[in-house]
Amino acid sequence: MDASASTRRDFLKLLGTAAVIGATTPDLLAGTGHKGPVRLTILHTNDVHSRLDPFPMDGGRNAGKGGVARRATLIEQIRRQEKHVLLFDAGDIFQGTPYFNLYKGEPEILAMNRLGYDAGTIGNHDFDGGIDNMVTQFGKATFPMLIANYDFKNTVLDGRTKPYKVFVKDGIRVGVFGLGIKPEGLIPKDAYRETVYLDPVDVAMTTAQQLRQQERCDYVVCLSHLGYKYEGPTISDTVLAGKTRNIDLIIGGHTHTFLDAPVAITNLDGQPVWVNQVGFAGINLGRLDLTFERGKAALTGQSLEIKA
Amino acid sequence: MKKYVCLLVLVVLAACQPKGYQLVNRTAQRIGVDSLTASADSSVVRFLQPYREGLNRSMNEVLTHATARIEKGQPDAALNDLLSDALLQQARLRYGKPIDMSHLNYGGIRNNLPEGDITTGSIFEVMPFDNQLVVLTLRGDMLQQLLDHFANGDKLVVGGIRAKVHNGHAHDVVFGNGRTLQPAELYTVAMSDYIADGGDNAGFLKKAVKRETLTYLIRDALLDYFRQQGKTGQPIKPISDGRISLD
Repeated sequence: MDASASTRRDFLKLLGTAAVIGATTPDLLAGTGHKGPVRLTILHTNDVHSRLDPFPMDGGRNAGKGGVARRATLIEQIRRQEKHVLLFDAGDIFQGTPYFNLYKGEPEILAMNRLGYDAGTIGNHDFDGGIDNMVTQFGKATFPMLIANYDFKNTVLDGRTKPYKVFVKDGIRVGVFGLGIKPEGLIPKDAYRETVYLDPVDVAMTTAQQLRQQERCDYVVCLSHLGYKYEGPTISDTVLAGKTRNIDLIIGGHTHTFLDAPVAITNLDGQPVWVNQVGFAGINLGRLDLTFERGKAALTGQSLEIKA
Repeated sequence: MKKYVCLLVLVVLAACQPKGYQLVNRTAQRIGVDSLTASADSSVVRFLQPYREGLNRSMNEVLTHATARIEKGQPDAALNDLLSDALLQQARLRYGKPIDMSHLNYGGIRNNLPEGDITTGSIFEVMPFDNQLVVLTLRGDMLQQLLDHFANGDKLVVGGIRAKVHNGHAHDVVFGNGRTLQPAELYTVAMSDYIADGGDNAGFLKKAVKRETLTYLIRDALLDYFRQQGKTGQPIKPISDGRISLD
């Protein structure tokens, strides 16, 4: 009985100490004292489809738009203005102009190296030159291809991709993972071979949780080639956002959707997940400016300023 | 007591967990990439230059000439006939055996052919996709299903046969050698792997008697055909023979 009472007193005392530590933790752990807000800029493209040159001036809707050399200038300008920039692509780098037919994706990847891409994910058309070509071309990339729901174990791509990567910018831990679309019926079997497609919702749940907890990420980004939205229950970015937790942002592709601004979708925890996609062919560059503060209450569903 | 210890561990863990950064604001912009927003980066332009020159060299090869613009159309047009005949001829050469007919996906023909020079680039614009040429062996009743599937919507593009279309149903089907379509006989059809694998809602084709891949891109078949035409010295004339007619 005495032992029990004593334990209870000790427990309460410890609890008190823990509460004090809890209250002061941010500054204590920060070491250097309180830090002001930190800005992080995320730039993104999707479905560039080998459009290295601008569209030809043929009177078409997109005549004169896009082009990797112009995108380079824009990104460089932003990097000069912003200290912390991350640049991502959401898949379908390949196929769409004769550049791909002739060079099999080399100039696309080398151009992305020059532009300083931090990561990409794999789109269905990235298989168009076959899986051996993916090994060759991705091997030239100075950035990782992130894909968490393709199991390449029994293919030549085994070990050539990563499920996720954590980027640290001024102490902010940004976890980024990739999701690909179901290959069957979309990609020739000869091209994807023994690639095993895993359920995107299950994989996103476990990967995002791992990033949030084990990897202690402050912000979790999903690079997705699932597509923005479909009729019916087909998995898409909007479905994924609503069925998962621990994801803050989904940078999408595949459906070539021109969103004027990111769309906020409420996730399983009632948090507003941003879903964005910026068309195709490098006609647009997506830009998201995030501000972080240490120990502040997280941003919840309030209305946000959006510049279209 | 054990309960207290567990609770204690949880409290201490929670307290020691670094609080981390929280998102306090987010804004977004969609930046158009065009001549107004940015000039071209000269180092990237220099990097691309040799690739572009190579591209221009290979895309500017003049394969043959056309006396006038060759256009696609419904239910039948000069380009439909030209491309499906080209495909049938090249497929037979590659296969080394007779093939009864060819089929092309109307929606997969992406551009018309110009008057004058027909270049490699022209063919890439007509057929940008890397679809493989396959030979399906079909029973006559499934071939009828295939013809009806595409006749419905007047998108039947075929070589090696003539047919009439009535209310989306193909009838009076006659092959080049005069044979008519028999439900229980077997026929070979050269076509895109995209359709053969069930694309454009043609899933019934997955039950074909046989599927053989020629390891020959449809575009490469067309390039070979037009290059060969150029060697004959005869320009291509846009002619439709009315193989598909509505009644």
